[in-house]
Amino acid sequence: MANVFQRLNDWAKGVVLAIQDYFTLAWNAIRFAFARPFYGSDLVQQMDAIGVGSLGIVLLTGFFTGMVLALQSSVQLKTFGATLYIGRLVSASMIRELGPVLAGLMVAGRVGSGIAAQLGSMKVTEQIDALNTLGTDPIKKLVTPRVLAALIMLPVLTIINDLVGIIGGNVIASAYVGLPTSLYWRTVWEQIAAGGFTFRYIPNDFIQGIAKPFVFGGIISVTACYYGLRTTGGTEGVGQATTRTVVTASVLILVIDYFMTQVMLAVFSE
Amino acid sequence: MTSDDAPGGPGTQRRRADDRARVSTRTEVREAIRTEIAADAPTTSEMRVRRENAGMPVIELDHVSLAFDEPVLEEISFAANEGETVVVVGESGTGKSTILKLILRLLVPDKGRVLIDGEDITHLSFEEALKVRQKMGMVFQGAALFDSMTVFENVAYPLREHTDLNEDEIEARVREKLQFVDLDADQVMQMMPAELSGGMRKRVGIARGIANNPELILYDEPTSGLDPLTTGTITRLIMKLQRELGVTSVVVSHDIRSAFRMATKVALLYEHHVVFFGTPEEMAGSDNEYIRDFLGGF
Repeated sequence: MANVFQRLNDWAKGVVLAIQDYFTLAWNAIRFAFARPFYGSDLVQQMDAIGVGSLGIVLLTGFFTGMVLALQSSVQLKTFGATLYIGRLVSASMIRELGPVLAGLMVAGRVGSGIAAQLGSMKVTEQIDALNTLGTDPIKKLVTPRVLAALIMLPVLTIINDLVGIIGGNVIASAYVGLPTSLYWRTVWEQIAAGGFTFRYIPNDFIQGIAKPFVFGGIISVTACYYGLRTTGGTEGVGQATTRTVVTASVLILVIDYFMTQVMLAVFSE
Repeated sequence: MTSDDAPGGPGTQRRRADDRARVSTRTEVREAIRTEIAADAPTTSEMRVRRENAGMPVIELDHVSLAFDEPVLEEISFAANEGETVVVVGESGTGKSTILKLILRLLVPDKGRVLIDGEDITHLSFEEALKVRQKMGMVFQGAALFDSMTVFENVAYPLREHTDLNEDEIEARVREKLQFVDLDADQVMQMMPAELSGGMRKRVGIARGIANNPELILYDEPTSGLDPLTTGTITRLIMKLQRELGVTSVVVSHDIRSAFRMATKVALLYEHHVVFFGTPEEMAGSDNEYIRDFLGGF
């Protein structure tokens, strides 16, 4: 019995320690962004890899998601004779939920796994130790540019994803339902305006839609760097780090998305 | 016996005169050598640094113990004086590489002190440790070249990080170091690490380790995984570094043959302890059973 408690105790300590390490890494990554030396070229390189590199899959998923949303809702709305509202439905779903979450999941799969694999192999081939030995802080050189790049690029990708999704909805609305394009876009805008504005000009829907990917970008990059830098046990370890990154980041994105939605609905509902 | 050879005879006197002459010539020669040396003597500041260091170990491990889940090292003590090469030998898994990590302060000992140039590095902050590491060059077992960078960028890395050299000076230094390790700079500079053979990677690793002209160089298994011919070449290269640059080195190796060729002193690790520390000759002459076993047929 004592043995069980002992093991439970060790496990709990391990979990607390891991969470502490995770947040220390996140804190250091952000803190180092404001301390010399700056690795500007690494940041640009990562922004290119994370942002431009993910553009293809984001365009593809966004477009098809928008189309399928329009298609499904047209069937449902037709029974009420309310196909006019396709635009409202597509824009609300894309901007508030599917845009950020899908872009997040796509980037977690594509970029998160890549970062974990790269840092993991650097760890097992002693390149991380080599950086330390050459007087460079690996967190500053490797983690900070990746976290910053993800924080900047994920909102950008999400905006593109939203836009392409709404365009996809437009294609289906006019091709299958026969809804005029001008009417579609007017209902899209009506939906955005219905959410209210902050500082008079910024739609609340946009704030929701940008805050989420910003947080998701942080989750993906920090999780990937965390597992990458803790890789042990050769190539097998690299594989495990990659898998853990994608699973953990995806689950965290979905869970945190729920809580962020709840908070934002409370904030913007009045 | 002739009278000439008798003690106090004229022969003896002549010989004494000869000796005196020889002594005075010798003094003159010594004087001449001294002036010649003085001509390309190091600057005063360098002299001062050397004098301060003279007689003081560059690296010293003082009763160092370290354990993770179980003990890795216990009560390890040895020192390397300026210009010396200490080779740490022992069976696999005895914590040899851990010693290098302690010297680099990638790990902190549970007990004991690690001194670099007389400074205890065990209590330094992470940032301070990064500075101390700039005195050291490390050659990793698998070379640990950055595989996203070319050979040139790899060797230039420490220079870009820690010096104010301009691009031309960096290129000149990289060429110099690549030539020092017998590589054709023009041929390899733009290659990626993945395109190099094992021996070449090791050499580039050494070139990167010495790019910043470190005072001490650490080698982790410099000859492991290489064919006998390349092993010989790398061993000769390490000896050339000692000879021509006068650096202090710590080499971790299980290759006793090359260890004996390059070592000033050998430290033998067995079951977490240093069981022998002394010159290779002393080791070869030892009648300790484990040492004899370890040396085997050598």
